[in-house]
Amino acid sequence: MHKKASLALALGVMAVSGYGVVAAWFWPWKAALFPLVIGIPLFVLSAAEALWVLLGSTERATVQDFQISQELPEPEILRRSALAGAWILGFFAAILLLGFPLAVPLFIFLYLKVHGREGWVLSIVFTAVAWAFFYGLFDQLLHLPFPQGWLLEWSGLF
Amino acid sequence: MIEALFEGLFLVLQWKPLAFMALGIVLGFWVGLLPGLGGATTLALMLPFIYAMQPVEAFAFLLGMHAVVATTGDITSILFGVPGEAASAATILDGHAMAKKGEAGRALGAALASSLLGAIVGAFALAIAIPIVRPLVLTFGSPELFMLAIVGIAFIASLSAPGPRGMLRGFLAGGFGLLCATVGQDPQAGIARYTFDTLYLWQGLDLVPVLVGIFAIPEIIDLAIRRGSIAGALPAGRISKGAFEGVKDTFRHFWLTIRCSLIGTFIGIMPGMGGAVAQWMAYGHATQSARSAEERKGFGAGDVRGVLGPGAANNSKEGGSLIPTIAFGVPGSTAMAILLGGFFLLGLVPGPDMLTKHLPVTFSMVWTIVIANVVTVLACFLFLNQLARVTTVRGTVLIPAILMLVFIGSYTSNNHYGDIVLTLIFGGVGYLMVIGGWPRAPFVLGLVLGKIAENYLYISVARYEAAWLTRPVVLILFALAVAVILYPLVQQRRKPAHA
Repeated sequence: MHKKASLALALGVMAVSGYGVVAAWFWPWKAALFPLVIGIPLFVLSAAEALWVLLGSTERATVQDFQISQELPEPEILRRSALAGAWILGFFAAILLLGFPLAVPLFIFLYLKVHGREGWVLSIVFTAVAWAFFYGLFDQLLHLPFPQGWLLEWSGLF
Repeated sequence: MIEALFEGLFLVLQWKPLAFMALGIVLGFWVGLLPGLGGATTLALMLPFIYAMQPVEAFAFLLGMHAVVATTGDITSILFGVPGEAASAATILDGHAMAKKGEAGRALGAALASSLLGAIVGAFALAIAIPIVRPLVLTFGSPELFMLAIVGIAFIASLSAPGPRGMLRGFLAGGFGLLCATVGQDPQAGIARYTFDTLYLWQGLDLVPVLVGIFAIPEIIDLAIRRGSIAGALPAGRISKGAFEGVKDTFRHFWLTIRCSLIGTFIGIMPGMGGAVAQWMAYGHATQSARSAEERKGFGAGDVRGVLGPGAANNSKEGGSLIPTIAFGVPGSTAMAILLGGFFLLGLVPGPDMLTKHLPVTFSMVWTIVIANVVTVLACFLFLNQLARVTTVRGTVLIPAILMLVFIGSYTSNNHYGDIVLTLIFGGVGYLMVIGGWPRAPFVLGLVLGKIAENYLYISVARYEAAWLTRPVVLILFALAVAVILYPLVQQRRKPAHA
């Protein structure tokens, strides 16, 4: 998992910096100076990292940063990560389709009840409190404009 | 200077900054207590809320929150043996051992009192550093400021992941951050760079959605992986019992606490070293204070000095790490790199301006650290028993609440769905970085410093052409950057030779 993630990142940075250098080549020097100064060494370094991984180096850097829990077997970690990713993307899809005011309580309730298997009382009370916080702070106090969801716009309900 | 010091105090004592500080402290309390949520992540999550604030209010809020995270993090370390924060891990060794012996209250009292003392030492160091570094910073021009940005990235890239491999990844992360900072309309020629014909990208990658994504998403996924309750079962009996004895311990070992505070301050000043290093160095120093081999054996088994050292260093490092952040724009840690983002969101540029025009704001930060810690320690003593119960919150309850803040915080940056897409993309990048062992701090620094570094480079080249490279301070800073890169490599080569 560690090697694959590092390789994916190295290849990604290689692609981004490679594109960055090619694109900057045709700009006036004022605009191209910094992207070229950064992009060229970045491309070389990312190629070195990709090669390092592909040549089978098992050296694992100890990073002074937050670490993902490793107590569980790798397939289970991947499964739970994918599930978490699906919930995150699902929340985003709900925001797009229904808008924030509906997506927030719906997501919180479903997450607590379906994923967390919490009781009805806790799920309903927590959802109500979270929605009151969202509505009170962002809508009533800060007057932030939250657009309607695409689904509601298309259906012409609101 | 004295005038500015008191002006800073009066600024903080106005009702609005005080109210924001109180809010920050309450949030910091929670974050410190809950092992699932890091202080740096919360700083990133709170950045969207500072847009409408004045600088003093914003720093009272952000620093008030950040200053207390390590203090309450010690509570979880002592009671459950689970560090509330990465910087609170060393407190477990003796603190948790004391809790198991039934001395939880004493350990907590010692941790809280030493934290307060440490915070005051750190804030004092920040206050006295300002007049010392001011003349130095004021002599710097664009070439020197550009080199400082490079030195900062070199420091944080080489120290956040040791060894040649770690350093390579550190530089890759830093370079990637710098490249991301070039997205948007170029300020010199007006060219739209890497915008793919989308209007949203013309103004560049907004800091808030990127930082929220890169820090919050991996931690949410980790909470989802771990499931269950955040910490564990509470120890039986009243936790606060014996806390006053711990306070007395702090004064019994007063000079040890002061020395460990100074270690923390020094580590804080060194960019890239981080709080994790400070606590372990302080712990090491505390063990050295044992007079005999027999006495040394007590460390790890519940010696109160093993709690005092890390507790003091953890909090003193904040004042220390603010020194390079404010004076040079070179943050000492991930949290400081995010705070640097806050400077730019508020329209402030670290460096000479913070030591002249905005000096009262700078001093207000000193006072914020002191006041926030005094309030926190007092509140901790009052509500110790109740606070400990917070850690029994389940991850499944926390996740939807945090995710709501992530999406709303990100969206409100520009009121555009592109902000959320950016958060999701950089959330994925952050997750891969954590899994792949790439440090995130250099990326943040690159992204935050990218725009001003480009500006300084452009002015240097346009004004001095290649001659800017021969300026004495530039050469010194270049040598420093090379030394920072080479030193860990030389040290690592020597290790096997000595072994």
